[in-house]
Amino acid sequence: MDYEIYPPSPELLPMLEKEQKNKGWISESALKRISIEAKIPISRVYATASFYAHLHLEKQGKYIIEICNSPSCYLNGSLDLIKFIEKELKIRSGQTSRNGKFSLHICSCIGCCDKAPAMMINKKVYGNLTKEKAKEILKSLK
Amino acid sequence: MQILRKTSLKALEVAKKLGPEATINLIKEKGLTGRGGAGFPAGLKWEMVRQVQADEKYIICNADEGEPGTFKDRFIIENNPETLVEGILIAAYAVGAKKAYIYLRGEYECLKESLQKAVNKVKRNSKSDLDIEIFLGAGAYVCGDETAVISSIEGLRGQPRSKPPFPTTNGLFGKPTAINNVETLANAPLAIMFNDWNDNLRLHCISGDVQRPGIYELPMGMELSVILNLACPKNPPKAVYFGCFGGCIPYEGHESLRLTKENICGEGCLLGACSMIVVDETRNIVDISTNIAKFYEFESCGKCTPCREGTMRVLALLQNISMGTAKMDDIETLQELAEVIRDTSFCGLGQTATHHIINGLEYFRNEFEERLISAKKKKGRKAKGKR
Repeated sequence: MDYEIYPPSPELLPMLEKEQKNKGWISESALKRISIEAKIPISRVYATASFYAHLHLEKQGKYIIEICNSPSCYLNGSLDLIKFIEKELKIRSGQTSRNGKFSLHICSCIGCCDKAPAMMINKKVYGNLTKEKAKEILKSLK
Repeated sequence: MQILRKTSLKALEVAKKLGPEATINLIKEKGLTGRGGAGFPAGLKWEMVRQVQADEKYIICNADEGEPGTFKDRFIIENNPETLVEGILIAAYAVGAKKAYIYLRGEYECLKESLQKAVNKVKRNSKSDLDIEIFLGAGAYVCGDETAVISSIEGLRGQPRSKPPFPTTNGLFGKPTAINNVETLANAPLAIMFNDWNDNLRLHCISGDVQRPGIYELPMGMELSVILNLACPKNPPKAVYFGCFGGCIPYEGHESLRLTKENICGEGCLLGACSMIVVDETRNIVDISTNIAKFYEFESCGKCTPCREGTMRVLALLQNISMGTAKMDDIETLQELAEVIRDTSFCGLGQTATHHIINGLEYFRNEFEERLISAKKKKGRKAKGKR
């Protein structure tokens, strides 16, 4: 690795994660601000920010729902669950509800294969889901 | 369980009495092998890092456990974080590192607080001046690769780098770095401390179509049927997937296969970290393959062409088979493409991304053909109906 071309900046990813956590997404102006604060060209800030699945460069809802659809969850009915939640929230996965409350994403394994099917809402894990359970969780967030 | 035994900093005391070289020799003697999947001896890795002359050295504890069907690191961090942190202290002492990173995957953010508490507690009790930082990932499967972890901590896209030079000489910030899996580091204090410590005991993660999914600590080399019966399959099992990357074997005819690295390799699979996803006879292999192909299409980092473009094409071919728009030759194309991706990809992700298809076509080819024929018929009927 040529460190003259790519000087290491271990502070960058934590800064982006902080912005994601506080604001729910990373706007263009936030990218510019981080670029100035960290003294890293904005092209590189964008390169890093656009790489990671948990960093969102589009405005997200208040609650970011990530449903696992990797094999273990898939075998335990994650597809039905995804369809059910899509219907409940009246959005497709990848979209944000009109009232700006929920964003829905299908994600890779979240390491809860023993509690399949599982989902994360704002990084909090909910396992052993059923449609009823999912409905109750969504209700409690409304 | 062996992995849940506590050492209460006594192993660190033993290591400090022995000195760094003797500690490394002890770990080598005990035969602690890496638990991340490659099975590299931990003592040898530490020795390589120790022997390099450098002003700074680093330890990275790789807790980026992205492999579907694997959740052993989560189990250790939840249940025995103190021993893990002690392992990090021992590793740092042995190689002469002043700073350690725990690269915790973004999905495990909920564990960060309790892990931080364990770090603080162990550091306070041991009066260690090692700087341990928990570095949170942000959701990228490829960051489980040791060189990709380095890229990620350095603030770059989490893409793997070419080896050599290996991280043991040119790792984080260009300095010698020992990168060990959570399970390896948690085992280090146990190996030093207990005479009856057994390297052969592994955490087996079983999930999928079973009634009792979970972690089972078992010696390597158990019969497949014995392991699966522990987890109580819902229906007679059809195939066992070793994570996503390891490929699959049919259960029928392999009931008495002993689960060791060599045996599994002989079947054209990879055992990796002993994770098993059980698929039962109610499932169709084409559906499972499509699901896994989606995973790889999403997680490919985009660095090399075979993996970036290939995983996308593989998924398209599988979807065409299910929709009935593929030709019979396309199954051949799928196989050829899968082999090309395996042989030409840059890192472990791409090289293993199509194992499930190569094995799937080897053992369950008829299911692919039947799916295509029935999908074509269905499509034909629909077209007739429209007319």
